[in-house]
Amino acid sequence: MTRRVASLRWRLLAATLAAMAVALTLAGVLLQSLFREHVMRQTEADLLRQLDLLTARLVVDAADQPRVDAAALADPRWQQPYSGLYWQVDRQSPVPAQGVLRSRSLWEDTLALPMDEPVRGEVHRHTVAGPQDSELRVLERTVRVGQSDSAWRLGVAVDLAETGAAVARFRGQLVLSLAVLLVLLGLAAWAQVAVGLRPLRDLRAALAALREGRAHRLPSGLPAEVQPLVDDFNRVLARQEDHLSRARTQAGNLAHALKTPLAVLDQLATQAEPPADWRHHVREQVALARRHVDWQLAQARASAAGQRRGHRTEVAPTGNALLRVMDKVHAQRHLDLGAHWPREPLVFAGEEPDLQELLGNLLDNACQWAQSSVALIGQRLPNDRLVLCVDDDGPGIAPEAREQALARGGRLDERKPGSGLGLAIAHDLARRYEGTLTLEDSPLGGLRVRVELPAAPNLA
Amino acid sequence: MRILLVEDEPTLRTQLALALQAAGYAVDEVDNGLDALHLGQTEPFDAVVLDLGLPQLDGLSVLRRWREEGHAMPVLILTARDHWHDKVAGIDAGADDYLTKPFHGEELLARLRALIRRASGLASPLLRCGPLSLDTRSGRVTVGDEPVNLTSHEYKVLAYLMHRPGAVVSRSELTEHIYAQDHDRDSNTIEVFVARLRRKLPAELIETVRGLGYRLVPTP
Repeated sequence: MTRRVASLRWRLLAATLAAMAVALTLAGVLLQSLFREHVMRQTEADLLRQLDLLTARLVVDAADQPRVDAAALADPRWQQPYSGLYWQVDRQSPVPAQGVLRSRSLWEDTLALPMDEPVRGEVHRHTVAGPQDSELRVLERTVRVGQSDSAWRLGVAVDLAETGAAVARFRGQLVLSLAVLLVLLGLAAWAQVAVGLRPLRDLRAALAALREGRAHRLPSGLPAEVQPLVDDFNRVLARQEDHLSRARTQAGNLAHALKTPLAVLDQLATQAEPPADWRHHVREQVALARRHVDWQLAQARASAAGQRRGHRTEVAPTGNALLRVMDKVHAQRHLDLGAHWPREPLVFAGEEPDLQELLGNLLDNACQWAQSSVALIGQRLPNDRLVLCVDDDGPGIAPEAREQALARGGRLDERKPGSGLGLAIAHDLARRYEGTLTLEDSPLGGLRVRVELPAAPNLA
Repeated sequence: MRILLVEDEPTLRTQLALALQAAGYAVDEVDNGLDALHLGQTEPFDAVVLDLGLPQLDGLSVLRRWREEGHAMPVLILTARDHWHDKVAGIDAGADDYLTKPFHGEELLARLRALIRRASGLASPLLRCGPLSLDTRSGRVTVGDEPVNLTSHEYKVLAYLMHRPGAVVSRSELTEHIYAQDHDRDSNTIEVFVARLRRKLPAELIETVRGLGYRLVPTP
């Protein structure tokens, strides 16, 4: 039990943590690439501004020599050698010359701009190698100034190490914050699982209380996801208790019922001079005890009857099999046993043993009392009902005595063998299937037992 | 009349065997299904009392095997469970009657008598042959109105012959049906019993068919 709860908790936590780790990693990668893109755009926008400024300050003198007023370019990094911010003016035509004019920050180096033929005024972007093994981002454009025939190529460059450092710094902070976030979320998940699984732990405690006899039912007021389970469990408990108490009552009834015959037998055994007909007394008491046992056994069997749904039992094969039994068992009486079934199969909505018990008792009874013939008739009624009639040509039962004949163990005539419980058992079984059993006059002259039972629909 | 009694509960078996012997039957007792199957296959019984719950092989299987092999002796089954389902299964397996435990000894005897009679094609429990009559219920034998006193073995021989009216019954058949298997059999004793019967009954009633056996002849 402990292991299972623990494993449930660990499984929930592991799944949550894995999902969060994947999500945070993806977010980190995405954020970093967005940041790099943003920094790059900022850098280029800055460079473009510097390029515009340089273009505006470019003057060509009469000797066709370019000049840039260094004082007009405000950024101090232009003046500081290898500061990471550079500009350079190349002559493009008529005679190409690199590094005609350079920022002071370039010191003795020149920018090796890749050869291309930009349309006049258009800005081109390159990434090139710079001084001191640096990597530079270059923006360049080609212009003509005044009436001069020369085309000038103006380039500004910035060292990418700076942006790289910014991105690395950002990545460091990002990883740190995401890690902290992961830890916080993990703790939240832990708390959530602990809170979410608390009802299960409470349930465990309640079950323990149940087992130790401190409680009779599981508590209510649990979350909606668990409560139906608990309600079902409580219903099972209630049914068990009900069965148990009924079983106890039945066992008690039987024990009490057996006490009387035992007392009588004891009395007989201890008498100094037993009566002459002591055998008869013993027989009588044994028969009585046997009837009680039979009745309780029948009750035990019947208590399961009619509870399970969805059974189908064809009546004719069961009835015919029982008639075969009667034919053998009552062979010495040379009875005429007949069955009449409808053309459509008659299907009882119940279990076969119950139908056998019911019909067996009725047919046995009829065979014991019949003069010469017993008939079993089956018929389908509307509304999913069926009726079975067991007829005999025996003495029958007077209308006023019929109720007593159906009562428990009611036995009207002691002349015939049998426990006299058959009718009562059949009656009980019929009632458990929400059916009826009535005693009527038979067209054969004796008793007709009419049983109405639920029918199952024909599948054909 | 020879009965095979198959019952694994020793007390009940002993009681039943005593009751059956007292009623004039030769009784073979068996306490398990396999022995029952074997005996039923090899020995000629006039009836079998078969308990259903048996060790090694259950009663229903034993019964089914007998019937499949064509052994047609009447079988009465004993069952502790009084479910109709079991009764139907028993009868459909080939039983001729059943009794639910607990039962009265008289009821068992009455049902056995009826079974044996039916197997011989006789309707009445009172068997007659000319002036001789034998009441299978009480074991009383009379000639005319005069009661005849017979010993247990004499009764067994006469009862067997009276269940086969008109048929020739060999000495060995008589031996097989009046002694249980473990009994010390001597077919010469049959001649002794027949001789004694002839002295007590009208002498011409039991005819000797030379080389074949005996026949009960109804004489006026």
